[in-house]
Amino acid sequence: MTEPRGRLGAALIAALFSVPLLALVTRAFADSWRAPALVPQELGLRGVRIAFSGETGTAFLNSLQVATLTVAIALILAWPAARVLGERRLRHPATVFILLAAPLLVPSYAVGSGLTEWFIRLGLDGSTTALVAAHLTFVLPYVTIVLLSGFGPGLTTLEEMARVSGLSPLRRLALVSLPASAPTVAAAALLGFLVSWSDYGSSLAVGGGRPMLPVVLLPFVGADPQVAATLALLFLAPALLFLVLTVRAGRKPL
Amino acid sequence: MTAAGLNCVDIAASPGGSPVLRGLSLQIVAGGRTSLVGPSAAGKTTLLRVIAGLQPIDEGRILVNAVAIDHLPPHRRGIAMVFQEPRLLGHLNVLDNVALPLRAAGMPRAARRAIAAERLAEVGLGGLAQRRVQGLSGGEQQRVSLARALSADPALLLLDEPLAALDPNRRGELRRLICDLQEQRRLTTLTVTHDRSEAAELGQRIALMLEGRIVQHDEPRALFERPVSAAVARFFGVANLLGDRGGTLAIRPEHVRLDPLATDRRGVVLEAVYAGDHVRVIIDCDGRRIHAHVAPGAAPRVGEQTGVEFPPEHVWRLPSTSAAAEEATPT
Repeated sequence: MTEPRGRLGAALIAALFSVPLLALVTRAFADSWRAPALVPQELGLRGVRIAFSGETGTAFLNSLQVATLTVAIALILAWPAARVLGERRLRHPATVFILLAAPLLVPSYAVGSGLTEWFIRLGLDGSTTALVAAHLTFVLPYVTIVLLSGFGPGLTTLEEMARVSGLSPLRRLALVSLPASAPTVAAAALLGFLVSWSDYGSSLAVGGGRPMLPVVLLPFVGADPQVAATLALLFLAPALLFLVLTVRAGRKPL
Repeated sequence: MTAAGLNCVDIAASPGGSPVLRGLSLQIVAGGRTSLVGPSAAGKTTLLRVIAGLQPIDEGRILVNAVAIDHLPPHRRGIAMVFQEPRLLGHLNVLDNVALPLRAAGMPRAARRAIAAERLAEVGLGGLAQRRVQGLSGGEQQRVSLARALSADPALLLLDEPLAALDPNRRGELRRLICDLQEQRRLTTLTVTHDRSEAAELGQRIALMLEGRIVQHDEPRALFERPVSAAVARFFGVANLLGDRGGTLAIRPEHVRLDPLATDRRGVVLEAVYAGDHVRVIIDCDGRRIHAHVAPGAAPRVGEQTGVEFPPEHVWRLPSTSAAAEEATPT
């Protein structure tokens, strides 16, 4: 009795979230869709042709590369930071936490503009390094905060058990720490990826004209809704894939 | 690996900056089973953590089988530990939890699973190898934890209140299992408990720890009946400590005899509380409060006069170095 009800509930929630997605898909393939009609007058691939005629492919790959690198580096840096904060090993954790979260208070374009001045002088503007560094300034706090929520006495006790069970530090990380915190790591990675993937401000400021997907998408919003919808679907695809992967990782750890 | 003795020499440790272990020394013979008891905050768990390497020491030496191990990291000490809570890995099934130390040692999967299956059978969980640990009862989880510790084939097994989270029936079963496995394997074992009766059942010897030091380490009967000090006597339930010619006499409440006809020492019953297998009686004898445990049905009523006898074979004079004579103190 409970299971069919649960399925019905899940289906309703899925339907609710599908409504805007359905409109997006329809818009992307509607060569003509004038109000007040509920269905398009003419379906076609005009949006796809225009969307992929320019730098979209390059922008997609650039965004994917930057987001993936940013998340990987953020996880490596945030792990020890969150452990130290989570285990209350600092004398003034609140100060460190505020410093860590400070970049989130500043708009990403402002952060990007400030960094650009330095990157130009260092000859890094427009490079992958510059984009990853700029994205890290606000991805790192998010990833640290999410990891922090999953670290605490529970993980420490498991690691103690691993130590007295003969596991070396590396094996402990691989066999105990990472699997035990996999759902948290997955959530942190997902959030970090989405923040980097969808960032417009710092990508525009630091990119030095290098095509990034949000930068390519934005001019079409309002100007050509069909192309914007097509790009939005493309924009959504890796995010959804990453979501599926992280949910699976959370359910079935390493 | 053969079972090895443990020798802690003048250990000092200050977890969190405050001294907890203060020049503690403790020896356990190879293959011996010792219970470590003491009140809360005496430092029992800290001692186990120090031996396991989870807590650094300020001073002293720790030797297993005459080899110093205090400079080694925990995973190289050859010591296994069972914690109060089972600390099982939720992403592994029961068998792979037990096989974890063997995986750490680099043993191939088939071999380590075969050994883990043997250890599971030894703790009576042979049929649960493929189960998820989340579905096990508290007692079963603690058995898995014990099997995991045994699969490491340790030189020394430390158990930190392993029965604390279990109901009385499960406690009894696991207590017997721990004793049986220890005897079969001749495994040097140190078990922390705060329950003195459990300490007597779990240990061939008991070490009492007070304020960061071992104050008496002996056979269980000695701590219950021949305590070396008033503090030891109090911890082990010797409620009657009586000043006598500059010394202190100790007599357990269950050894005090109440005889309504006795005339040498008489008193008035102040309290009689039914405690299941006995009645706890307090008698006022000339201003001294005498504690006695009497069989239900034979207990006097509150306000009644009764005679009080101390059988000489059960009266113990505390060593002269002990605290000055004290009036009887309820535990």
